[in-house]
Amino acid sequence: MSVLTIASSKGGPGKTTVTMLLAAALAKEGQRLSVIDADPTEAFSRWARQTYEGPPFDCFFEAEESRLAHRINERAGLDELVLVDTAGFGNRAAAVAMTSADLVIIPTLSGEADVTEAEKTMRLVQGLAAAARRDIQARVLLNKMRRTHLARHAASEIEKAGLKRLKTSLSDLVAYGELSYSGILPSSRPAVTELGDLLAELRKEGWLGPPPGKKHRRAKRTIAS
Amino acid sequence: MKNLKSRNRPTAEEALRAVSQHAPSLPPVQVDAADRPTTLNLRVRTSTLRALEAEARRRGLTMKQLVAQGLQGLGVAVAAADLEDRTPRRRFD
Repeated sequence: MSVLTIASSKGGPGKTTVTMLLAAALAKEGQRLSVIDADPTEAFSRWARQTYEGPPFDCFFEAEESRLAHRINERAGLDELVLVDTAGFGNRAAAVAMTSADLVIIPTLSGEADVTEAEKTMRLVQGLAAAARRDIQARVLLNKMRRTHLARHAASEIEKAGLKRLKTSLSDLVAYGELSYSGILPSSRPAVTELGDLLAELRKEGWLGPPPGKKHRRAKRTIAS
Repeated sequence: MKNLKSRNRPTAEEALRAVSQHAPSLPPVQVDAADRPTTLNLRVRTSTLRALEAEARRRGLTMKQLVAQGLQGLGVAVAAADLEDRTPRRRFD
């Protein structure tokens, strides 16, 4: 029962796309998850309702902070994983979702404004962690990356600012954008590899449980021995 | 963050309190235009007012917060904004 909040105080770094990718990939694995859409645009919940074609997961729209806080706690008690997609500006609902999270993923593009806003979001998480007296991990996720000098510079700026980031980054793949229209998890090789790497990294750090199949196999082995 | 003790997930109330404490000026996601602020005047005995003042001070709340929280406890649908300290002094804490 992990809570992963996808947040950034800036619009456009791909929060909703990252949430779609994670939700679709984990639902395909058979993870019991729910997604709470706390963005008033309702982009994620509309996609889940009208476009998504993979295995089902529970999706809720809740942008009012008090109801959101209760919803997160309720779902954390019921599901293996709760993903929270937030709006791209500083707001109370996003702050509540960060405070209740085990991990805040901060998608970031390469631009100076993006890196600066990622730093602001990271500082907000740290302040909320201090106010709530709990450790809340946060990681920058470089998104829509191209193999350019600019991307390398952004990565180095993030490191210089002391921001922790996920080793995995997501490339600027058309397949990721298509997901919002097709509702189908990308099957092209680079996308599958990157998503696999991202899930593996989240698992290695303990923010995601093992895939349901693996849990089952491990349990069987234990009984046999 | 290293010196902070790891705790279980905060309750909804704890999460809301942490946000109010650390980032009181963050706006709500949606502002309900129909839910505009208005005024409620209460005519009470001096002793009641003094008791309200004392209890609010003891709890670190405003009197309005104290009344709003009490009403919420009775099941009245109190708007989230009315549960917060929205006085100007909060900006200087």
